[in-house]
Amino acid sequence: MSLLEVKGLTVSFGGLVALDAVDVGVDAGETLGVIGPNGSGKTTLFNALTGLYAAAAGEIRFAGRELAGLEAHAIARLGIARTFQSSRLCLALSAFDNILIGMQAGRRTGLLDSVFRRGKLLAEMGEALERASHLLALFNRDLPARGFERVGQLPQIDRRRVEICRALASRPKLLLLDEPSAGMNPEETAELMRDLQIVREEMPGLSVIVIEHDMFVIEGVSRRVVAFNYGRKIAEGPFAAVAAHPEVREAYLGRETARA
Amino acid sequence: MPPLELLLQQALNGVMLGVMYALIAVGFTLFFGVLDVIHFSHGDIFMLGAFAGLSALLGLKAAGVAGAALALPLAFAAAMLVTGLVGVAAERVCVKPLARSSPLMTLLATLSLGLVLRESVLIFYPRGADPKPFPQLLPQGGVEVGGVAIRYENLAILAIGFAAMIAVDRIINRTRMGAAIRAVAQDPEAAQMMGVNLDRTVDATFFLGSALAAVAGILSGLYYSEIHFIMGITGGVIGFSAAAIGGLGNVYGAIVGGLLFGVLQTTAAALIPRGSEFRDVVAFAVVMLFLVFKPSGILGEKSVERV
Amino acid sequence: MALVLVWAAELAVFALVVAGILAERPLPLAATGLAIVAAAVGLRLRPGLRRALVAAFVAHRRAALAGGALLALALPLALRASPYWTFVAALALLYVTIGQGLNLQIGTAGVLNLAGAAFAGLGGYSVGLLTVTAGWPAWLAVLAAPWVAVIVGTLLFVPILKTRGHYLALVTIAFVFIFNILMNNFEFTGGPQGIKNIPTLRLFGWPFTAKPSLLGVELPAHANFYYAALVMASLTTLVLRRLHDSWLGLTLNTLRDDEIAARCCGVSITRGKLLAFCIGNFFIGLGGALYAVMVGFVSPPDFDFGYSLVMLSVIIIGGVDSIPGVVLGACLLLPLPERFRFLHEYRLLLYGLVIVVMLLYRPQGLWPAAIRRYR
Repeated sequence: MSLLEVKGLTVSFGGLVALDAVDVGVDAGETLGVIGPNGSGKTTLFNALTGLYAAAAGEIRFAGRELAGLEAHAIARLGIARTFQSSRLCLALSAFDNILIGMQAGRRTGLLDSVFRRGKLLAEMGEALERASHLLALFNRDLPARGFERVGQLPQIDRRRVEICRALASRPKLLLLDEPSAGMNPEETAELMRDLQIVREEMPGLSVIVIEHDMFVIEGVSRRVVAFNYGRKIAEGPFAAVAAHPEVREAYLGRETARA
Repeated sequence: MPPLELLLQQALNGVMLGVMYALIAVGFTLFFGVLDVIHFSHGDIFMLGAFAGLSALLGLKAAGVAGAALALPLAFAAAMLVTGLVGVAAERVCVKPLARSSPLMTLLATLSLGLVLRESVLIFYPRGADPKPFPQLLPQGGVEVGGVAIRYENLAILAIGFAAMIAVDRIINRTRMGAAIRAVAQDPEAAQMMGVNLDRTVDATFFLGSALAAVAGILSGLYYSEIHFIMGITGGVIGFSAAAIGGLGNVYGAIVGGLLFGVLQTTAAALIPRGSEFRDVVAFAVVMLFLVFKPSGILGEKSVERV
Repeated sequence: MALVLVWAAELAVFALVVAGILAERPLPLAATGLAIVAAAVGLRLRPGLRRALVAAFVAHRRAALAGGALLALALPLALRASPYWTFVAALALLYVTIGQGLNLQIGTAGVLNLAGAAFAGLGGYSVGLLTVTAGWPAWLAVLAAPWVAVIVGTLLFVPILKTRGHYLALVTIAFVFIFNILMNNFEFTGGPQGIKNIPTLRLFGWPFTAKPSLLGVELPAHANFYYAALVMASLTTLVLRRLHDSWLGLTLNTLRDDEIAARCCGVSITRGKLLAFCIGNFFIGLGGALYAVMVGFVSPPDFDFGYSLVMLSVIIIGGVDSIPGVVLGACLLLPLPERFRFLHEYRLLLYGLVIVVMLLYRPQGLWPAAIRRYR
């Protein structure tokens, strides 16, 4: 059963067409890899899916609902969570706070509870903190102990983990990972792959779309891959087939090399 | 409906005011261009320019230089030098050190620096709390054209104001420093790689913008025959408003914005009951509408939010 | 043992503050100054002592709060000889209320509202109109006035949502100017003269012009307002602390730091900003309302742009987004220039210099915002 169905999605800025009639689908529990050179429209796809960009044409159906016209926060509440290519954590806030924000949409206490029924609020916050600890511990057992530190004080890889935890905290149905290995060295990338494996095991029903430049990562985490170039989908299928696709080779390696 | 002559008269007065506003707004827009900051004490530098000009005129009078033809240019030069240096100092103290923190920090710091300048004039200028009479040095009298009174004094103010604007245009478009300013405004890093000295360019920009504020300050003194230490608050807010409705970063936008604000004020004064009291309410309301519905301004480029 | 340390420290601060206020002759004044400097240097040089103090305060939070409350209640006793200082203390507490409201907007939510003076003015003028013109009792007017600030604030909803940063600052500055021009020119607000003879508060038959007595000691009439302002400031601080350490504070911090990330986490920017704006304006208006009954008149210069800057400096000195910082900022910034009368003329100049220096060298403020721990 298909969780996400994108048909003919087109996004343009002024005269520039960033996404041109793209069709993409993801099944429940599936991990889809997205590859393509810089500026090929991968991140634009994410921005359109999460409601940051408005689509010029096409439709996005998610869990049986049409997303067109919904605001970003409403889409997030329907169960689409994401990370960003360059981290968008609030560096001055604690790691826990950064994760808790992912849970706020599901909160059960309101403003009046915060002021007048403090016990109820603190109980809920306690549960939330516990769940945040649990999420952090999935990736790194030492992280929960640093949960009350400002996230800016954590090393790069742990920040990325906090960002993934923030996305998972909302109990999404679909997780969008935008180049999780960006700016990482090979060891860190290996750790990240292990982290993604953990996500897969812990949340088998979760669908994931991952944008990656690192083919090694893509091959390791996703069975099905789509390739983009100039805002169009140029190939789709198993990793090996897409990687061998002439248009994909051309897009990545340049015309001359591809012909050779 | 007021008669056409009245409207024309008000439009002329609006252009008069607008020239002064435009000179302030050009500073705001230049600073925003090179450093992406709002230098909020700029209004008080305008006020400082007026006081420096007045002091220079009084000093020259005491020294026996009485003729307007000599005293006025000297006063302009002195005031421009003073505000230029103060502007550069303000940039070095309040703007550059905060360049790496959030832009709001600069806004708060320069807002406070403006307070410091204002209070300094209030406290340290002799009897600073009182409005100061400004000598009338421009030719008096005037002619009437089709029911519209044109005073020579106003013509002189217009001429000086437009001369200053043309000078800015020449400096920015025809000189090496102007080229550097434009390059930094477009892309500071690329400009630096092309061999532009960033610090010197920023200093030059602040000197230029602040010197223009001094021209506006003296013109304001000549126009109202009076200056007051609080004139910088309104001057600053109007200058910033003009730069914003013109499109921050665009020098011609600032000029258009300044003229528009002036005309808006005077026509509002003519068209609505008790207009002279409420004209600024109308003008600021229009500014608010602009910021909400056309935040890029009249001549500004539309910026795309990057994710 | 730690408990003794906490109370001793509080008592020492109280004694220094009272001595600092009341010492008139050079010798006691110099001694007080020396003691304050010595205490500051001592804490700086002996990190062990500082840590012990902090640990003691954390361990005995309730006792520390109770001690602080007791001393705050006792302050008018210590200041009984000086009605003027009782008034200044009440004024500082009003600024605590106003500062907390403004801090929710600027510090927590990043909504740079430079129209604080206008919203305080809306509170103050509403009290004036409701009592003098409409004949309401003062207490009812004080309760109603903050709602006027909130309702008029809705005029700015669209700009608040559609502009940010510099532009929002400009919109709010323009709003202060418009407010001032209107107050200066409307006839029903009394024009430049403002509204005079605002009746004083009267609670349960007790007029605030009567001199209260505490433990058999007669206090100046201003002590009434001091206690009213104390109750108000404490309640405001409590409410805002609770809101800050809750989903709301977290949400507002996130949208302040990164709107896009916040939206993608399901945060409605509209709801967040409007809540912060309305709640903030309520407390700013409340401060302005009590100010009106305290001084008995309102006029345009009481609420001009300069006061927006004073409110802003309270927040920057204390610590942006820091609830205790606001209290500290207001209690330092308002009384200090009053203490040194020769400084009074230089008051705004000093505020300006202090903000610039703080922004350059200690942008987090004297009491920086702490990490939320939800307990």
